[in-house]
Amino acid sequence: MDDRVTARLGYSQDVERPGMLHGRILRSHLPHARVRAVQVVGELPEGCVVLLPEDVAGTQLYGCLVPDTPILARGVARFAGDPVAAVAGPTPRAAARALTRLEADYEPLPEATSLDAALADGAPQLHPLDELRGAAGTWTGLRPGGGNVLHTFRLLHGRGEAGFDEAEVVVEGEWECAGAAHAPLEPHAALAEWSDGRLTVWTGTQTPFNVRRELAMAFALAEADVRVISPPMGGSFGAKTFTRIEAIAAALARKAALPVRIVLPRDEVFVTLVRHPARFRVRLGARRDGTFVARRVWADWDTGAYADTGPNVAAKGGWAAVGPYRFDHVEVDSRCVYTNAPSAGAFRGYAATQAVWASEQCVDLLADELGADPLELRLRNVLRDGDRFATGETMHDFHVAECLERVAERIGWSAGRRGKGLCAVMKGMQTPSRSEARIVLDGGRFTVESATTDIGQGRDRSLRQLAACSLGCDAAIIDTAGVDTDHSPFDTRTTSSRSAHMMAGAIGNAARELRRRLADELEANPADVLFVGDAVEIVGSPGTRRELASFGSLEGFGEWVLDGGLEPETGQGIASAHWHQGAAALSAQVDDETGIAEIAGLEVAVYAGRVVDASGAALQNDGSIVMGIGSALFEATEYADGQMLTTTFSEYQVPAFSDVPPFTAEIIEGGEGADVHGLGETALPLVPAALGNALRSLGLPQARMPVRPEAILDAVEARDAR
Amino acid sequence: MNLRLELNGEARSFEIAGDEPLIDVLRDAGLASVRLSCGIGLCGACTVLLDGRPVNSCLVLGVEAGNCEVVTIEGIQSGPGRLHPLQENFIKYGGAQCGFCTPGLIVMAKSLLDENPDPSEADIRFGIAGNICRCTGYTKIIEAIQATARQQREARG
Repeated sequence: MDDRVTARLGYSQDVERPGMLHGRILRSHLPHARVRAVQVVGELPEGCVVLLPEDVAGTQLYGCLVPDTPILARGVARFAGDPVAAVAGPTPRAAARALTRLEADYEPLPEATSLDAALADGAPQLHPLDELRGAAGTWTGLRPGGGNVLHTFRLLHGRGEAGFDEAEVVVEGEWECAGAAHAPLEPHAALAEWSDGRLTVWTGTQTPFNVRRELAMAFALAEADVRVISPPMGGSFGAKTFTRIEAIAAALARKAALPVRIVLPRDEVFVTLVRHPARFRVRLGARRDGTFVARRVWADWDTGAYADTGPNVAAKGGWAAVGPYRFDHVEVDSRCVYTNAPSAGAFRGYAATQAVWASEQCVDLLADELGADPLELRLRNVLRDGDRFATGETMHDFHVAECLERVAERIGWSAGRRGKGLCAVMKGMQTPSRSEARIVLDGGRFTVESATTDIGQGRDRSLRQLAACSLGCDAAIIDTAGVDTDHSPFDTRTTSSRSAHMMAGAIGNAARELRRRLADELEANPADVLFVGDAVEIVGSPGTRRELASFGSLEGFGEWVLDGGLEPETGQGIASAHWHQGAAALSAQVDDETGIAEIAGLEVAVYAGRVVDASGAALQNDGSIVMGIGSALFEATEYADGQMLTTTFSEYQVPAFSDVPPFTAEIIEGGEGADVHGLGETALPLVPAALGNALRSLGLPQARMPVRPEAILDAVEARDAR
Repeated sequence: MNLRLELNGEARSFEIAGDEPLIDVLRDAGLASVRLSCGIGLCGACTVLLDGRPVNSCLVLGVEAGNCEVVTIEGIQSGPGRLHPLQENFIKYGGAQCGFCTPGLIVMAKSLLDENPDPSEADIRFGIAGNICRCTGYTKIIEAIQATARQQREARG
């Protein structure tokens, strides 16, 4: 933290290379248009270079799951904001002037800027799905549905929808979520440089190895000829995942034969990636005593113009909409749909936020119908250790019931539940995945090499503490290396709240190997290696003490692998090696005249298992909750005629200091030997649905997230008319 | 044109264009702590002190700072290697995660405490409402500022 409060820490916008130019992007202002030509009109400022579509004609389509993305729009622009050309200049001001010399000739095409429009009969087909399905580099699990339906996730458990014949009470509802913006304070920035046919890119990214792969795809290079270096990020929350501006920077650098750095203006950050707008229909069947019997879910996810992780989001959101409960019968159809909107991708909470908005409010809809207590209804049905989830996997280390009981008690649930709402969440962790780590002893200090990237989550502190714990030495003699695909051991990516857990395993194994090597040097048993400050000895024999600096360079390498995955037709298998779990209880007050809802109380409990760094964990959890408040009350991406309107911090409201109500967040630790459970995301999805349920208890149920005063006023009117 | 000002206590001279914002002048002078974020004064990440007043340096023209004192986070320390109490408390209470908003926030908090040495929690919340933090959830930042205010009052006796 010291480097942050002294501002010695540099970010991607601070990286400089000799002779570098500054890049800017020309973007389509139309949501769907043929790009007939782009040309230079008038004189370019001195030293400026232009990148036109013909300059990247020889490059390949790329994408993390589906290779559907060109470096520059290839004949057709698919969203208002789609890059169609680029410039680079010796100064940012020269580049901005050069940008005004570019003119693109568009022919508007029929638009499909919403789910309805994209799914309608006769909707324009935005991508050639047949070609994409068969393309090399396309995920083998992709199941296109025709038209603009890129992927359908299916889950079938028990008899599926047919199982509703066993239910005595059935409720059904529809819910909808607007898109959202990650809005990290640091805008996207990337610097690309070519040298002897080898590409190096400095870019703050959560996914360095994925970016390496995608750039190699785009430029038809071997991965060994691409190097990705990730400086720390000023926040990301999913915005800086997979290839965003790196390929354009690389193409400009190749054309200019000079390094090129792009720092995105804020309005362009907003159209670079969004959270999936989504809508749900959920049907829930139960017996009169409240026992859940069946759940049916239909979900549509607006993935925007390019797929990015959309199919994965549709899958995760598909089973997240089941909820942490026992069901005899479950059927889910969750579709990832192309539209003429900015691409949607990874966003903190990863599909759980939207799915839980629908799923948990459906539980309270049933409670209403049964005249049941929402807490008792949940506790009756919540999964416990040994129960099977709808994917067929068995729950272990499951504490959702405990989380629910604790928050209910703290909010004073038994004293009266008017104005109060509950929510429970189980969120998965990327499965399968793989992490490697290396610990190097040199010059008396240990260095942890890990490709976990720094997004502000406390990466350095956590890695050092994991290593200190596994080695059995003082964290003060441990450093961490930066992230560089040329040197860092492999890691799937820094997403899904997986890093602390995965690196605990990989570092544990690396430490074990290093201790063995030290033991060999000391001619001792590995178990007898004892660190004392910056020295090491055989336990019980201080005479054997040697300074760590006296050893040559020694290293230990470790790997941690999670297996699993789901069958494509039925969604059966292992969705997640373990589960991120939590619950929230929220009490709301509504001003019936203005429609303004205020959070009067918010109690959150999250299960963390083994905590690596307590203060870092609390910070992550608090930040997640405040982002949840933003999703619940303030944050929505909005459009008119396919143009994004929310492109500044004035139109797009992130919670400010004065917006945050008091809340209590409890981090529940596990017993001896507990697993490390990430909690960077867990609390976020809890807040919107807890608010929705609190409003339902006031007779003001809400279908749309975020909750807006206008919608509450409509609900007040409807309630008072009843 | 030529711009003269005092930057973190040092007299400096720059050749700048008439329409160049102060943030660009400062970043070109090597002060990467002044952050490029929204460019239109809505997030506070580029906050600096101009003759003691907090300003969004993206909204101030370089020429407006002529013959003024400009202070960034690099200039608020009590001496080489000695952190400002706000910085010490940010570390102690955990007031930073990604750190991107931190320089602007600490400069703003210093200005707040200079003007109001005994702020209530509401004073603090509203006083720094123009600085967005997307990471921390704000609680620890407020604790760090409150602790600093307390310590500074005690030091004054």
